[in-house]
Amino acid sequence: MATTVPVTVDRQASLGDAEDDRSGRMRGLHHAIAPLLAARGLPRWLFWTGAAITAFFVVLAVFAPQIAPYGFNQYMVHGVRFPQQGAPSAAHWMGTTVVSEDVFSRVIFGARTSIEVVVLALAFSVAIGVPMGLISGYFGGWLDRALVLFNDSIFAFPYLLLAIVIAFLLQNSVGGGVFTAAIAITVVYIPQYFRVVRNSVLSVREESYVEAGRALGAKPRTVIRRYVFANVIQSVPVVASLNAADAILTLAGLSFLGIGMDPSVAAEWGYDISRGISDAQAGFWWTGLFPGIAIILLVTGLTLVGEGLNDSYNPLLRRPVHRSYALPGGQPAATTTALAAAEPVIRVRDLRVWYGTDRGPVRAVDGVSFEIRERETLGLVGESGCGKSTLGRGLLGLLPVGATRDGVVDFGGRNLVTASPAEMRKLRGPAIGLVFQEPMTRLDPLMRISDHFAEALRTHDPDISDAEVRRRSLEALGGVGIPPTRFRNYPYEFSGGMRQRIMIALALVFRPRFVVADEPTTALDVLVEAQILSIIADLKRNFDASLLLITHNLGIVAESCDRVAVMYAGRIVEQGAVEDIFSRPEHPYTQELMRSTISLSTRELHFIPGAPPDLVEPPSGCRFHPRCPAAMRVCAVAAPIGTEVRPGHLAECWLHGPADHLTPDDRVPLEREEIGIADEA
Amino acid sequence: MASSTGSLRRYFITRLLLVLPMVLILLTLVFMLMRVAPGNPILAALGGHLSPSQLAARERAAGYDKPLIVQYWEYLRQVFTGNLGTTITDHRPVTQIIAQNGAATLELTASAMFVAVVVGIPLGMLAGRMRDTWVDASARIFGIVIYAAPVFFLGLLAQELFGHILNWLPTSSEASVIIQANLTAHTNIPIIDAMIDGQWGDLPDLFAHLVLPAMTLGLVISGVVLRLVRVNVIQTMKGDYVEAARARGLKERDVVVHHAFRNALVPIITVTGLQAALLLSGAVLTEETFNWPGIGNQLIYYLEARDYIAVQGIITLFALAVVAISLIIDLLNAWIDPRVRY
Repeated sequence: MATTVPVTVDRQASLGDAEDDRSGRMRGLHHAIAPLLAARGLPRWLFWTGAAITAFFVVLAVFAPQIAPYGFNQYMVHGVRFPQQGAPSAAHWMGTTVVSEDVFSRVIFGARTSIEVVVLALAFSVAIGVPMGLISGYFGGWLDRALVLFNDSIFAFPYLLLAIVIAFLLQNSVGGGVFTAAIAITVVYIPQYFRVVRNSVLSVREESYVEAGRALGAKPRTVIRRYVFANVIQSVPVVASLNAADAILTLAGLSFLGIGMDPSVAAEWGYDISRGISDAQAGFWWTGLFPGIAIILLVTGLTLVGEGLNDSYNPLLRRPVHRSYALPGGQPAATTTALAAAEPVIRVRDLRVWYGTDRGPVRAVDGVSFEIRERETLGLVGESGCGKSTLGRGLLGLLPVGATRDGVVDFGGRNLVTASPAEMRKLRGPAIGLVFQEPMTRLDPLMRISDHFAEALRTHDPDISDAEVRRRSLEALGGVGIPPTRFRNYPYEFSGGMRQRIMIALALVFRPRFVVADEPTTALDVLVEAQILSIIADLKRNFDASLLLITHNLGIVAESCDRVAVMYAGRIVEQGAVEDIFSRPEHPYTQELMRSTISLSTRELHFIPGAPPDLVEPPSGCRFHPRCPAAMRVCAVAAPIGTEVRPGHLAECWLHGPADHLTPDDRVPLEREEIGIADEA
Repeated sequence: MASSTGSLRRYFITRLLLVLPMVLILLTLVFMLMRVAPGNPILAALGGHLSPSQLAARERAAGYDKPLIVQYWEYLRQVFTGNLGTTITDHRPVTQIIAQNGAATLELTASAMFVAVVVGIPLGMLAGRMRDTWVDASARIFGIVIYAAPVFFLGLLAQELFGHILNWLPTSSEASVIIQANLTAHTNIPIIDAMIDGQWGDLPDLFAHLVLPAMTLGLVISGVVLRLVRVNVIQTMKGDYVEAARARGLKERDVVVHHAFRNALVPIITVTGLQAALLLSGAVLTEETFNWPGIGNQLIYYLEARDYIAVQGIITLFALAVVAISLIIDLLNAWIDPRVRY
């Protein structure tokens, strides 16, 4: 690998002037190496184990004459012939062959042959395949189509047969050897570099910065060199190391069949194994065993290097680090409750949901309390990343690996936080429904709508009849305006709005008492949004369901909700009846949020200065104080205590007390410089 | 139901039409490969055996004195009429070699694929589900090491262990000599021929001969299948519809099998189809190792005899096999994934 990459870099760089070569080369190499150094855990371990094995064989190959006790085809020393088919002994660690050659020496020289062939073959195929892919991808048109066709047909062909035929033809004209074998293998791998590079170029070409480069008048080749090449160079090492592994096997296969390598020119593992098969039948196991082990080791090493590289480059395979940790002791209960008039359907007390990351826990939900009564809709609003979605999923226990919950979620007398996974599973669906944000991807693309319903209903009621499944599904679908004629269609046959209605029907078919709707209209256009909202408004009337409606749209809250809770940085900072909060917001964050909404009377856009805080290290005291226009000294040091401002209207803000907790000094407006000092301390 | 079968048929016809250009390109590739070498097939095979005038007569008879483009046209015409010529060295019609030995290769590759799927898919699903545990690590190491082993070396180990040390299984050819002699060739697949003629007593011997070659080739392919299944199950387990299925209270086993695995199948089948090259290449080596009378075995024999016509015919067959496999893969995908049909 280390041998192939610089070859490409030099070849590419030579296209341009000297000054740019440098930066281009540095950028390319930096791009290639950076993710590797950042990799952790298994990918890192895989890579270094593989690299160590590969390095070991490279050393064997380079210093073969010094390391091997004898030559690869030497059968006597000082006129004394080695034993014929001698078992492993002190003089011949791996025994001798039928023609008295030393197996140990042949294994070492075999490493030299393999590595010579592979390095040559990869250098050739990179040198041909990469530029071909760059040109094809960049210029497109008929040239691209012709090259793709050609490469695809080579790629589809059984690679060993191709190598066999080419090696056979070359052998007949120029004789067998390292060069013949290398050329035969080269042809096999060109299409792979072509393909990888061409596809990367095509995707990079669409990127705006390349467009911008062209718009600024950069020449095509400058664009290729500066932008495309730096991105493309990342994938080549992965392909190269995996191909090197493959190439070793292909070479061994060729030699096993007696094609390409002339056995009198060099030692080759595959050839030795083919001899070993007849030896083994006569009881001489050592002649084939050791070359075979050598191949497995080297190929494993190269594969590990490739997989390690792939794991660290491919973001889809990269896995976030989850650290488990214990939640620290509960904070003082910040909320008082005086809300419950009717018996609530769900009552949440001091719920916390933290994610473990390698930077420390993310306090996505950090001690929230609220409740929802029968047939009531609670709107949960807040900026992106404030923890609303985590809260919604936290209620159902649908959390990713590495998340921890505590607190109380009282649902019908049962604490859902301590419920077993099996109990939770039985509640999901029949008792608690969840409607998601992205309807396009939430239905299984391979299943008919009817199968989605049947599967869900049968899970919770195995004895349900087909007729009953059909009746209940069509009833639920009818409730959201999907006609029975579409029942057996596949998801791809529906628009986004229709899919969202199907998702809602899938939640409602169980007639759950409680539904969490997580931004159900965000991905949809305005007209569809209105339809969905009217369906949700009907929920209460038709299904007697209570609803937690998560949204960032205050208009939706005003239209559809009875009460509203405002969330900021993992806390609910204010909650109460919708009319009350909209007419008289008490928390500065709620006030800022209201001013940010756009209406016909909007004259200029208002925005809240600053950014939502980092939930790994949230600000001290009140989490909103760095952005708060009314912050006082106390706000930077002490977390505010929830206070009932008016009946049923709670706010977590020192402006609203409790008054007896504050000294006059606490009430002095916060000077912004002090934030920095406080943070330093 | 009727509409989806209809669209499947329509898809099949469109796909079949798209096969023609691919066949043409592969055939051109084969022709070019076989003719870039200097000299001509007659000279290569028989040079030194015949007098110059005899050679010239043979060349004229075979049409090698005509321009290359005419020969190319002749070759295409032959392939499309199902005639691949007659071997130079022993005057056998190439189609006869294919009928006799191709069946053995088909038997070997199909059994190997069966082994690969039975071993690779469950292990890959397990590894993907139990990601980063010792189960996953062991399955991955198995996948990597088994793939790193040359198929003929695995064959050597299997012959040594099960053939010689334990003496459980035969290590060469597809039937014992006596049993082979008693079989009538219907399909040229001994197991099926024995069944057709009701020679049930022959089956244990025939299966015993199949076990080692099929297991050896199948295990190598299973390493690739395992890795594929693992990566794709990991990706689909992150799918939005998987979370949505959990939100409806589905059992974890159903989530994995019905949603994650089924969706992973489409890329798995596609990439397994690309491994057809690996399967056919592996078959050549396996046949050589176990002296299995397949088409790869014949290829090596005729290569050594420098019989270009036989080699060209066998390579043509492999090219057509590649096209057929890719067609089957696409149809399977269309059957699983309704979106593909459009």
